[in-house]
Amino acid sequence: MGALTDKYCIVGVGETPHMRPSNRTTLSMACEAVKKAMADAGLEPRDVDGMTSYQAGDSTTSNHVATSLGMRLNYSVDIFGGGSSTEALIGNTIGLLEAGYCKTMVIFRSMNGRSGRRMGGQAPSGPVPPTRAAEDNQFMMPWGWTSPAQRFGMSAMRYLRDTGTTTKSLAEIAVAHRYHASLNPKAVMRHPITIDDHQNSRWVVKPLRLLDCCLETDVSACLIVTSRERAYDLRQPPVFIMGGTGRTMAPNSAWNYSRPEIHYVAGNYGRNRLFGMAGISQKDVNLISCYDAFTFTTLIQLEAYGFCGKGEAGEFVKGGRLQIDHELPSNLSGGHLSEGYTHGVSMVIENVRQLRHRADDACPGWAEGTHSYDRQAGCRQVKDARIAACLGWGTETMSSSAILRGIAA
Amino acid sequence: MATAREKPRPLIDNLTRPFWEAAREHRLVIQRCQDCRYFNHPPRSVCNACHSAALTFEPVSGRGTIYSFSVMYQPNVAGFGDELPYLNILVELEEQPQLFLVSNLSEVQREQVRIGGQVEVYFEDVDAELTLPKFRLIA
Repeated sequence: MGALTDKYCIVGVGETPHMRPSNRTTLSMACEAVKKAMADAGLEPRDVDGMTSYQAGDSTTSNHVATSLGMRLNYSVDIFGGGSSTEALIGNTIGLLEAGYCKTMVIFRSMNGRSGRRMGGQAPSGPVPPTRAAEDNQFMMPWGWTSPAQRFGMSAMRYLRDTGTTTKSLAEIAVAHRYHASLNPKAVMRHPITIDDHQNSRWVVKPLRLLDCCLETDVSACLIVTSRERAYDLRQPPVFIMGGTGRTMAPNSAWNYSRPEIHYVAGNYGRNRLFGMAGISQKDVNLISCYDAFTFTTLIQLEAYGFCGKGEAGEFVKGGRLQIDHELPSNLSGGHLSEGYTHGVSMVIENVRQLRHRADDACPGWAEGTHSYDRQAGCRQVKDARIAACLGWGTETMSSSAILRGIAA
Repeated sequence: MATAREKPRPLIDNLTRPFWEAAREHRLVIQRCQDCRYFNHPPRSVCNACHSAALTFEPVSGRGTIYSFSVMYQPNVAGFGDELPYLNILVELEEQPQLFLVSNLSEVQREQVRIGGQVEVYFEDVDAELTLPKFRLIA
């Protein structure tokens, strides 16, 4: 068990609608997301004295958001990063709260991920403008190799070859996450898809097809963390932070490929710390969020975090195992593949809602925790959800994670 | 090539200049530690293996194996629109395990690409200032 296991809780969550485009500033969206999370928790601006965010030079900062909302912060730091940042900042936050730097802390991401700066550098309207590739990028971009799909596609190709996995296993992940999106009124892509739909979708970067790739959306999303003593007085059932890891590296992290096996990704180096700190095993986990920038990133993380053996993920995901009412439901909101794109924070938000038994679905009583579990009627609450693992991904060589526990089941 | 000027170009710095200058002369050189003989690519300020700063560039054979590849269909990258779909390969040079270069495979051999394919370097002069090492299949 970790020294701080269960001492801190996620008490508020909120987000703006996923838009393409938002026609808003990242400051405007962030203020809305933070206000919603405060309302969700039952907190006032004067109750929040810490704020942190992550961004890639594409967003507003904590001091602007706090100023707009009338907060005076005792702690504010914004970090650089995309995927893998959310769980890392949860780790930072509980350390800061324990040390007394602040009492209640907001974690947010705000991004015009479609209409503003797009991943891989693509401009909103088309190809990237001419660019000079600096540092390690000069050994990649001049050969036309610039985007996350290209990077991860290279790893996926080798993985498929080494393990005999086929792209039908990738399709299983696309189908599962889309099915969950079909039960999520907030999701951008809600029509269910089949394995064949995936197999017939166009190539983006072989071996990745269109339905292997996440969406790009404009959105802000927010979590609020405080001590369990404060959490007990707030509006929602608390969700306890059991353990986690922050941007755990694989060796030679800067150059993505110089390590013994291209698909032995960073989560392999973090999983014993994660489960050791949480004091549980993989078998205790009821649901996961598994970072789905691409179907492949979900697939490889299942191995990295020990939910199946090395090379076995392709078989593991078959038969709908990642779908609700099956063994290991994944990305219950639809994830980045089908709900929308937040660089990870929305996946943690969904896990919080699931652990409260308050998934915001079609059930009339969801806000009070009353669910029908009737999927035909649009219920996406996982029955008896107690423990969720959040498996974040930055690159093959960088991963963060968190295990959360609810008491509302 | 009409689109060469639009393509991403290297921002050459003091650390990487020997690689690019050798490429201009159609030679492939890789940074090597003079203490432990480990090859480092991309070039580093200190050796990845032993942390020595005694690093110089040495010629390599230019032969290697295709460790993996991907085929780009998306018109994301300025200057590459006319070449879609194009092939990126990760070449493991024969001098050292996991000594990887990202490059392209010769256009005419696109259909023959396979993991494990043996390749050798050739040089494509983009313009007067820039030459890119690329690879062709030899087996």
